[in-house]
Amino acid sequence: MSEYARPDVLVGTAWVQEHLTDPNLRIAECDEDVLLYDVGHIPGAVKIDWHVDLQNPVVRDYINKNGFEAVLSSRGIGNDTTVVFYGDKSNWWATYAFWVFQLFGFEKAKIMNGGRQKWVAENRPLSQEKAKYPPTYFVARDRDDNQIRAFRDQVMKHVAAGNPLVDVRSPQEYHGELLAMPGYPQEGAMRGGHIPGARNIPWSKAVREDGTFKSPDELKELYQSQGITEDKDVIAYCRIGERSSHTWFALKYLLGFPKVRNYDGSWTEWGNLVEAPIERP
Amino acid sequence: MERQEYIEFILDHYQHPRNKGALEDPDMLVNGGNPGCGDVVTLYVKLDNEDRITDIRFEGHGCTISMAAASFLTEMVNGKKLDEIRQLDYQQLIDILGPEVVKSRLRCATLAMDTLQGAAREYPSRKATGQKLIQPIVLTHTLLTE
Repeated sequence: MSEYARPDVLVGTAWVQEHLTDPNLRIAECDEDVLLYDVGHIPGAVKIDWHVDLQNPVVRDYINKNGFEAVLSSRGIGNDTTVVFYGDKSNWWATYAFWVFQLFGFEKAKIMNGGRQKWVAENRPLSQEKAKYPPTYFVARDRDDNQIRAFRDQVMKHVAAGNPLVDVRSPQEYHGELLAMPGYPQEGAMRGGHIPGARNIPWSKAVREDGTFKSPDELKELYQSQGITEDKDVIAYCRIGERSSHTWFALKYLLGFPKVRNYDGSWTEWGNLVEAPIERP
Repeated sequence: MERQEYIEFILDHYQHPRNKGALEDPDMLVNGGNPGCGDVVTLYVKLDNEDRITDIRFEGHGCTISMAAASFLTEMVNGKKLDEIRQLDYQQLIDILGPEVVKSRLRCATLAMDTLQGAAREYPSRKATGQKLIQPIVLTHTLLTE
């Protein structure tokens, strides 16, 4: 059996428990559910809220270099600290935070395989005590949006050039049957469907029942069977960019694709964009 | 109240939900959902002859805030008439849950109230035709997470 391309970025729950007191390690919980951290978290873990901490509060964009430095410094993360992310929803937001950290070139980052659900399922310890660390003086690199982030104009050119896109939403969203769940407010986009040429490979196909990533061979087969191969320039998208950061992580770090980007504007931008081409069978 | 007190109030309702479960033969059975979070709530309501809530229960899945707010809502509205329900202001609920705590998740905080108010608006026309307001139970919260 082959190995993940970057096995060092994925750690298990047992490994994390063994390293709880490692002073050079910071564990960071990133959830969709904003109060789950308060319900109980891995002892010593800090909270990073994707909405409050990582996003610009006014413009639809991410924090800038100063903001990033402030977030890390306030969590006691120094330039030599390794950060292990974990969270709910099979690590959607953990991989999203990981991706935002990579915009700033933060290399000492890992994901706890299986996320919060696996830690809880294994009855590992949880704490309600808020972890506090002395502030550090973190110095960040400038944010670089050119390598792993895609913008709508780039996606337009990508489509025109016939390059592959992965739509990681549910098949119902992909087919334009749903903008959201049936019977509920169909909000978030004016139109349903998918970006022309995009292949539908739901993010969940990459994980097992317990939330851990499938084996390298299984992942390779999953994407290869849809024509998503490492020699290509690949863009992943979903509704707001969180599920697709999960797929981005799998393609880039587990399969080692050299060029894969996350289109964080995703369907909430494309499905609202005037004259944007849409495929809907 | 301090932020931490609001959080403890929410966690108490989340971990020890009040009025959780189904009701036999309700006068209103309505669903609500929040596609952003995948929250789903189903409300079961019994009314007396004056359209006063005599019992209310909820079922659902979702984030801490949405489930805690649904639990609290059932306590808040029991005994109120539908007229009063229609006039409820979101802010009353948000002030109790903690504006600072729920400000980034207002849809979650108001999901159950929004669902109940929608039902309260629709119910009179159903009642006029001799019908109850019964929706099929929708538990498709997994669709967006597939």
